[in-house]
Amino acid sequence: MDAPVLDEAVVEELRTSVGDDEAFIIDLVETYVTEGATNLDDILAAAAAGDPVALVRPAHTLKSSSASLGAMRLSAIARGIEEAGRDGVLDGLADDADLARTTWLETLAAFTAAGLRR
Amino acid sequence: MSPSRAVALIVDDSAVNRKVLARHLESLDIASREAGNGREALEALQSAGSDVGVVLLDIVMPEMDGYETLAAIKADEVLRHLPVIMISGVEELDSVVRCIEMGATDYLPKPFDPAILGARIRASLAGKRLHDLEVESAARQAELLRTIQLQKEELTRFLSPQVAALVSSPEGAQLLAGHRRLATSVFCDLRGFTPFSEAAEPEEVLGVLREYHKTMGELIVEHGGTLEHFAGDGLMVFFNDPVVQDDHVERAVRMSLAMRDRFDDLSAQWSKRGHSLGFGVGIDTGYATLGRIGFEGRYDYGMVGTAVITASRLSSAAAAGQILLSPRSHADVEDLVEVEPVGELQLKGFSRPISPVNVLRFHVAGEPTAGAVVATGASRSDATA
Repeated sequence: MDAPVLDEAVVEELRTSVGDDEAFIIDLVETYVTEGATNLDDILAAAAAGDPVALVRPAHTLKSSSASLGAMRLSAIARGIEEAGRDGVLDGLADDADLARTTWLETLAAFTAAGLRR
Repeated sequence: MSPSRAVALIVDDSAVNRKVLARHLESLDIASREAGNGREALEALQSAGSDVGVVLLDIVMPEMDGYETLAAIKADEVLRHLPVIMISGVEELDSVVRCIEMGATDYLPKPFDPAILGARIRASLAGKRLHDLEVESAARQAELLRTIQLQKEELTRFLSPQVAALVSSPEGAQLLAGHRRLATSVFCDLRGFTPFSEAAEPEEVLGVLREYHKTMGELIVEHGGTLEHFAGDGLMVFFNDPVVQDDHVERAVRMSLAMRDRFDDLSAQWSKRGHSLGFGVGIDTGYATLGRIGFEGRYDYGMVGTAVITASRLSSAAAAGQILLSPRSHADVEDLVEVEPVGELQLKGFSRPISPVNVLRFHVAGEPTAGAVVATGASRSDATA
């Protein structure tokens, strides 16, 4: 996977656009963590149930919110899951879901390392 | 928060996206409301007092997605003019095209660029304001038209219908300014009205006048006459202005005959109540000045000329039941009416005597016109106003 777990340039761009309001960024990361965890749970549940339709929405949201905060690797994985769900492809879905969970944990660690988690 | 501040509704199931957008909007001085899916968005938009001026709509959402939400907004009579900007990832351009075909105003690519966000929202809000202004101006125009119509109706209660129509027509100003035209003037009043009004109760006098005005008023309108004024028992009507009537003398005579007939019915009822009233008419035709007469604050649409004075004097000279037609008017309708001479009259204010005729009736169609003048009229040369 080529995309970085956390693209600091995206975070920096966001920071600039909100006038270096660090508290806002930290609050946003917290929201992302809460929301992302729910999305990830939904993805894992849908993958376990072999329900591609139920995958699409949480994968789409995770893709989008991850990209907003620079979690590019997770965003790319979520996009792959979303597309597979749309196409009804079940092969390799369990592996992708597992990869998403692993990357999620790496992403959280990266945010913590960047000082963006309380 | 100032009440004039624009409000955007952010509809996105991602709280992260909502927060980022809200924050950008805040820096653009745009307030925001948030909804996590289409159902919540519609609830917010349809709630009373919704101040939302633009909707930012995500496509993929739980419960009710962007397509369904957009369709519901466009199907709502009140909400359909609300600008809807789709929020989409760059890989979702096909969906955006579909949304724009469904009536979305624009789209915002993710991740959000604050400058593009500001420009698109401002453009959408400006479009909405323009639409609101159009709606408001159309409503105001309709209100204005209603007022004009109402005033016109109100006006026709005081003025003759022709004058009321003239006032509100494009050529009205020119006609009102005054013009010369051949016209026929009709004066009528009641014989015995002064003693009656002295003897009777005021309520009774008013009752009689009301019946008389109502009856005569209907006949004036029916014959296309222009009522210049009612004054007690007297009334003055003219023909051929402002509406041109080639048969203005005939109309004047027909109206007078109809008035006399109707008056006979009225006076039969009045005489049962002990009132003895008679009806007299004078008619003359001539060139006159017509237009606005009076002073600022109180104008009449009037006719000024010798014909008016002659008609007035003839009316005063007429005995009960007589319709005195001047020679000038008579010449115009002599083939149509059966008359009797009344001899020479010396009218007050005129140096030369006049020989009017009393109109008896119209010829029945097909009857020969010879012998139209029935030589039974007594000379009334003593008659003056």
